[in-house]
Amino acid sequence: MKKDTRSLGPDKADSGPRPSVITRVFTSVRTTITLLFLLAGCAIIGTVVPQGEIPDLHGLAGHSFVNRLIVILDLNNVYRSWWFTTLLTLLAFNIIGCLLKRMPTILADWKGSHKKSSFSLSFTDPRSTDDLKPILESSLKGVLKKSPQSLEMENASILRWEKQKIYLLGFPLIHVAIIIILIGGLIGVFFGFRGHVQIKVNESSSSFALLSTGEVKALPFTIAVDAFTLTRYPTGEPKEFRSDVRLLAEGKEQLKGSIRVNHPITYQGISLFQSDYRVVGISRINIAVTGADGKTEILSLNPMEPFSLPGTDTMVKIRGFDPGSSQRGAGVEIVVTEKDQNPVTLRFYEKDAQPVKVGNHKLAFKGYEPTYATGLQVGYDPGSRIVWLGSIMLILGFIFTLFTNIQRLQVELSPAKNGTKITVSGRSKRMRKEFRESVENSVQMALKGS
Amino acid sequence: MNSVDLNSYITFGYLGWIIAYLITALSGRSAEAVKRLLFWILAILFLAHTASIGLRWAESYWMGIGHAPLSNLYESLIFFGWTIVLALIIVWWKFHIDAVVFVGMPIAFIVMASTFLIDSQIRPLIPALQSNWLVAHVFTCFLGYAGFAVSFVAAILLLLVRSWPDFFSFLPRKAILDEVVYRSVLVGFPLLSVGIITGAAWADHAWGAYWSWDPKETWSLITWMVYAVFLHARLTRGWSGGRTAILSVIGFAAVMFTYFGVNYLPGLHSYF
Repeated sequence: MKKDTRSLGPDKADSGPRPSVITRVFTSVRTTITLLFLLAGCAIIGTVVPQGEIPDLHGLAGHSFVNRLIVILDLNNVYRSWWFTTLLTLLAFNIIGCLLKRMPTILADWKGSHKKSSFSLSFTDPRSTDDLKPILESSLKGVLKKSPQSLEMENASILRWEKQKIYLLGFPLIHVAIIIILIGGLIGVFFGFRGHVQIKVNESSSSFALLSTGEVKALPFTIAVDAFTLTRYPTGEPKEFRSDVRLLAEGKEQLKGSIRVNHPITYQGISLFQSDYRVVGISRINIAVTGADGKTEILSLNPMEPFSLPGTDTMVKIRGFDPGSSQRGAGVEIVVTEKDQNPVTLRFYEKDAQPVKVGNHKLAFKGYEPTYATGLQVGYDPGSRIVWLGSIMLILGFIFTLFTNIQRLQVELSPAKNGTKITVSGRSKRMRKEFRESVENSVQMALKGS
Repeated sequence: MNSVDLNSYITFGYLGWIIAYLITALSGRSAEAVKRLLFWILAILFLAHTASIGLRWAESYWMGIGHAPLSNLYESLIFFGWTIVLALIIVWWKFHIDAVVFVGMPIAFIVMASTFLIDSQIRPLIPALQSNWLVAHVFTCFLGYAGFAVSFVAAILLLLVRSWPDFFSFLPRKAILDEVVYRSVLVGFPLLSVGIITGAAWADHAWGAYWSWDPKETWSLITWMVYAVFLHARLTRGWSGGRTAILSVIGFAAVMFTYFGVNYLPGLHSYF
């Protein structure tokens, strides 16, 4: 097969003094390959050693060599460790080095002053230059689907085509994009934060705890949670977690909205995400009461307030609640005080087969409505926009590199002894062989055909 | 017939196709016409596979929980099988080498057959997956994986031809295999990049951080780095043939670990 000789190659002979070792290392793709391998290897360590856990150095197992190594080398925090950061920084400098080294070539190529061609063909024809020019032009137009630039030199006539120069932008775009993404990431690490706050429904908070250290930080606003709703599909799987919140600052409501998974809200650059929830109490307890007449009524009770059984003087007070620690499901403990008698404590559960009897009434536990606390993730990252900019550049770079192809073709016609000498030189970044073949065929057909 | 049944028929269709191809290949040289027929049969099976994905999509809407069929392991495996067959058909059409298709099809078959072992029910979408990024993310990732799968198959064939040229003389020339190894990575790499970017955008929306060093994220980055090494070694250091083929095999091992192995590590991608 054809051996590719690409202009990106490092083996280009540089004129001028030999660069220093450091320059050579930082502008070498060999360095890039080594760094990428090292980074990949280190990243693997981070997925094997549990991250964020501190191994016990004082326990029995603590004396093991591995645990010491983990602590010394930050193996429990690979991605933030000094050596991983160093490798990433080296990679960034290496990419910059390679870019700087290749930019002059790319610029020269862009301007067209870079005279590299992937093939050059020569023909002679008895006809005159003026006769041949329109023939070749119309024939090669079919190959390049474009009109050429025509130049008249002193003793030569030149036709020049240039197509999809934008291809040349692909390489710098991709590599600048990666540096921009790394810078954006760095900004996020230094100036951004991530935290978590848990707020009970109907309460508010203006602080949160950092995820990294647990340190409590103040927010520039107050989050008031009005409701938390958990909706389920008929099959029982969760369908939606929603927190209805109001954001207050300077004593005024600034923003009102609901936070759902995948639908955060953002205020003053700080985003709030639905992260988790917790049951922190009971708002209502439902008890089915069947009277002496056999009629069942479901009472929805506030756990704090005592109530009387319908149609009697019997007072019932809820004393305790069990969210379901036993096989019998959730349950409730009540104190029943019948008129002129001592109070009696009764316990009954969701899964009990038989209701409990209180006088002529039968009571059964029918479930409860919990009160929730919502867990919100708090995030601020001034670097993320930079990362997205880099990502868009990266995608554009790939599109230019993959879907465009720079092609240049020059036809030089110069008068010779018995006719015209035709020199065709061409360059194509991709599909070189195909390009050369189609140009060659087209020229030969044009010369023969007329 | 529902989409799960249809997928079973397609899976057996692929198996039948592999057997038919094997018989054709063993029966001698006059098999070109039969192979052309087999190409069209594969194209029809692929269309049925496409229809089955569409049917499952429609079924979820009939159930009232409509969502793209990319929401669990079953659906992702069916889609992965689809992307592999698509990539193989493209290779056959572009490079006219059927050995890659023949060796690649058993991979597609295994991927499809493994769905027999897991829950195939259509489930409603859990809140974390209710995002427009889902389709873009999964689509680009798996198309990229398919490119890498094709590169892997060609790389294995190339290594066989290199090691035992006499025994594997019936395989395509090394130069063509090398071209397939390279070109499929050239397609897969940008797709994986876009897959990682769309995943990061989604994570930013759902978890509040575009990058959390979750094992799946990390392994996708490791995969990305291996193929970045592949491309740089080939384009600037002039690597080709055996050395890039080995990189392609390593890369595909990383892809497989990103897809399956990561599930055994703790992380956020637990629903896949």
